[in-house]
Amino acid sequence: MKKANKYFLLTPLLLWLFLFLVLPYCFILTQSVLTTDDFGKVIYHFNLDSYIKIFTNPLYYETLTRTFIYAIIVALVCILLSLPLAYFIAFKVQKHKSFYYTLIVLPFWMSYIVRAYAWKIILGEQGIFNSSLMNLGIIDKPLRFVLYSDFSVILCLIYIFLPFVCIPIYTSFEQISKSLVEASKDLGANSWKTFWKVIFPLILPGVISGGTLALVLTLGDFLAASLLGGPNTLFISNIVQNLFGTSNDKPLGSAVGVVLLVLVFLLLEFSSRYEKKHETQ
Amino acid sequence: MKKIVVSLLLIAGLVSSCGKKTEEAKTLDLAALKGSTLNILAWEGYADASFTKAFEEKYGVTVKGTYFGSSDELVSKLQSGGGSSYDVITPSSDVAGYIVESGLVEPIDESQIAAWKSLSPVLVGMKDVQKDGKTYGMPFTWGPDYLIYDADVIKETPTSWDLFMDPKYKGKIALYDDISTIYLAAQMLGYDKTDQSVLYNMTEEQLAACKAKLVAMKPQVRKNWASAGELDNLFKNKEIVAAVGWPLTPANLNKQGMNIKSVIPKEGATGWIDRLMIVKDAKNKQLAQLWLDYVSSPKVMAKVAEFTQYYVSNPEANALLTPETQKLMGVASMDSMFKTLNFWQPVKNRKRYNEIWSEVKNQ
Repeated sequence: MKKANKYFLLTPLLLWLFLFLVLPYCFILTQSVLTTDDFGKVIYHFNLDSYIKIFTNPLYYETLTRTFIYAIIVALVCILLSLPLAYFIAFKVQKHKSFYYTLIVLPFWMSYIVRAYAWKIILGEQGIFNSSLMNLGIIDKPLRFVLYSDFSVILCLIYIFLPFVCIPIYTSFEQISKSLVEASKDLGANSWKTFWKVIFPLILPGVISGGTLALVLTLGDFLAASLLGGPNTLFISNIVQNLFGTSNDKPLGSAVGVVLLVLVFLLLEFSSRYEKKHETQ
Repeated sequence: MKKIVVSLLLIAGLVSSCGKKTEEAKTLDLAALKGSTLNILAWEGYADASFTKAFEEKYGVTVKGTYFGSSDELVSKLQSGGGSSYDVITPSSDVAGYIVESGLVEPIDESQIAAWKSLSPVLVGMKDVQKDGKTYGMPFTWGPDYLIYDADVIKETPTSWDLFMDPKYKGKIALYDDISTIYLAAQMLGYDKTDQSVLYNMTEEQLAACKAKLVAMKPQVRKNWASAGELDNLFKNKEIVAAVGWPLTPANLNKQGMNIKSVIPKEGATGWIDRLMIVKDAKNKQLAQLWLDYVSSPKVMAKVAEFTQYYVSNPEANALLTPETQKLMGVASMDSMFKTLNFWQPVKNRKRYNEIWSEVKNQ
């Protein structure tokens, strides 16, 4: 009875996963090997053309590679920004710790689109950024590369995903026993050495999970690129969005989705193995 | 037994219809419509309060407009089950025929459209929205894809699309994020000089030349706009000085005190013809038909033209426009404009066109 009860509690979750995860994946997988007529109506004819296209047309594999590189940049910058920030809150702040923590989480209270739009206002030709620099006499013409470019997209993504990276890193900092740090200092290690030899190995799982999160979220993001991107900006998710919307080529869109899914699975598998390896050490 | 019941019902039906109750039935139906919502899936500007309000008050209903940014977006929404969410759509001439052929829309009842007879015969006579003797679309508006420019910056009226290549305006141009920008490149290359339909049936070589042209234009481009609202903002924030766009943009911006002008350059321009159609399986078919009837009247058409500055399908509306709008729209020369525009046609290889457009971005 007890055992049956346990599984009974699981049913909502299993049902949810089946309906909204397993079924859609099966559907996407099936659709990726079909084809369409000239106006995008799906025709039930098995072929692998979509996959062949992804690996032969530079549009698809180049965009995929570029998005990956950008995702790595976003993840790395988020980690670099989060390390001192989380360290500061975990070790240096004595009073009102929750206040500082709330400051990190605060942006979540606002809609993504509003925050992305805000960057348009900040970085625009007549925006706060350019007009302040001009008023200060640092530049005499507005800097135009800061908006409608890959730069503005990456900047926005870093800003949006920073809390996702900062929180797991902060949590791992919090779990470190202060006595370890003191012991390291007692034994003559300076702060730098203490950080890299004692603290960093301990927070590595947090760094990896936060970084992976930013990486995966960037791979799936299309809004930042469509709102803040320029004529050259093209992320893989823009192509997927395009294929399901504008281009109306659902099989190809599904195939790109499947390729992306496999890559993300590999990435997650790799990072969780790495994490485990470090935990056991 | 069943047969008897059916025939009894039929007889009862005949008897009651002989009682001339049709008038009463119609008013009853109208009462039933009260409180319902007419959902319009349309290009921006086609559900503005300036002309939806009177309809809402007349029938006690709500008109809700959802905007789409490109023809492909419309088709994709309809195909993925949009039928149950929308009642009326406004497809352009490039996908109207396909939408009819795919059975995504209902035939319309011309007899219930009061001003049908006064609609432009040229537009009504177009074959692409007719099938098996039935009409599937009511002509609504048409207009050009103008070269739009900020006349405060560009003092001389541009004569050629080559303005988009002028290094003076580097990073100050906006293109439409749509395959119609490929038609524009083809026009710049002179492909439609002898045959307008070439733009919509280009060979792989011609597409490659268009792609090269658009890639060469890229340093000039600030942003590819995805909606008329986005284009308005680009002009307003001084991010751009020239763009390809619809009359709605100068109409909107000049109301806000800007000096935005539009022109058809010497290479010509493409254009579009928009229809009103009733979606198959629409929830409010009757209300949709009433909307078509309402919009067809010269008075409402004039309001549409005042707001969008698009040419409307009921010529009687033109006289009702303010002299100012008549002048701005160039109503006097609209017939010659109609003849010169290269109206969007269905593109057989639409998938490839879309891919080319993405490839331009990836270059």
